[in-house]
Amino acid sequence: MNDDSDLERRYRRLLACYPAAFRRAHEHEMLSVLMAGAEHGQRWPRVAEVADLLRSATSMRMRTRLRTSWAWEYRHRRVMVPVRVLIGIWLVALTAILYGYGLGGWWGLLLVPAAALHFYVAYRSLRHRVQS
Amino acid sequence: MQEATFLILTALAGSSQHGYGIITDVEQISDGRVRLRAGTLYTALERLRADSLIEVDREEIVDSRLRRYYRLTGTGKEHLAAEAARLQANALVAMSRLEPVGALR
Repeated sequence: MNDDSDLERRYRRLLACYPAAFRRAHEHEMLSVLMAGAEHGQRWPRVAEVADLLRSATSMRMRTRLRTSWAWEYRHRRVMVPVRVLIGIWLVALTAILYGYGLGGWWGLLLVPAAALHFYVAYRSLRHRVQS
Repeated sequence: MQEATFLILTALAGSSQHGYGIITDVEQISDGRVRLRAGTLYTALERLRADSLIEVDREEIVDSRLRRYYRLTGTGKEHLAAEAARLQANALVAMSRLEPVGALR
């Protein structure tokens, strides 16, 4: 019984890495799954299990962050779409000017993807494809 | 669709299941080849739920542990059927090409 509570405490500590909203909704059921999969008398989470939980928690955090960023972008699309298009055009113009004067060098590697990213974000806001 | 996702949807196609039930069922379906870990399972479940392919069916408390059962939605069934048909078509082509010509004689 004592082993169980040790193991459960350690699992709980790992589950604390998940985003708060996810933890509120799923901590108890995940704990049931983890405890159901444990060996009798096991006191420590297995290494592969720890790695899997950390990887999953990280990807969920990144997804949550990405989603809130997109939501913000979409909410402010009236301002952000023109702003991003203008920045994109400016970056393309800057690239053209730099290379026109032979000053481009490696700057293109930075400027062109940056312009593409701004255009993409603007396009995506227009297409109304916000992840739910 | 990744294999783990396909197997999770397949596990839920028969009846609703809870987390650990899905893990054991997937292991059985895949002939012991795929053993899902909790983190992987819940990342997949979360994404499937966001895409409305699955939904929560009911909850139970067994031995003071929470079990949440998931089931396929209509969309989930359609997706799984489409994916299964695609895999079957691919497998049929592969098998027909591998079949030695002599075997037909």
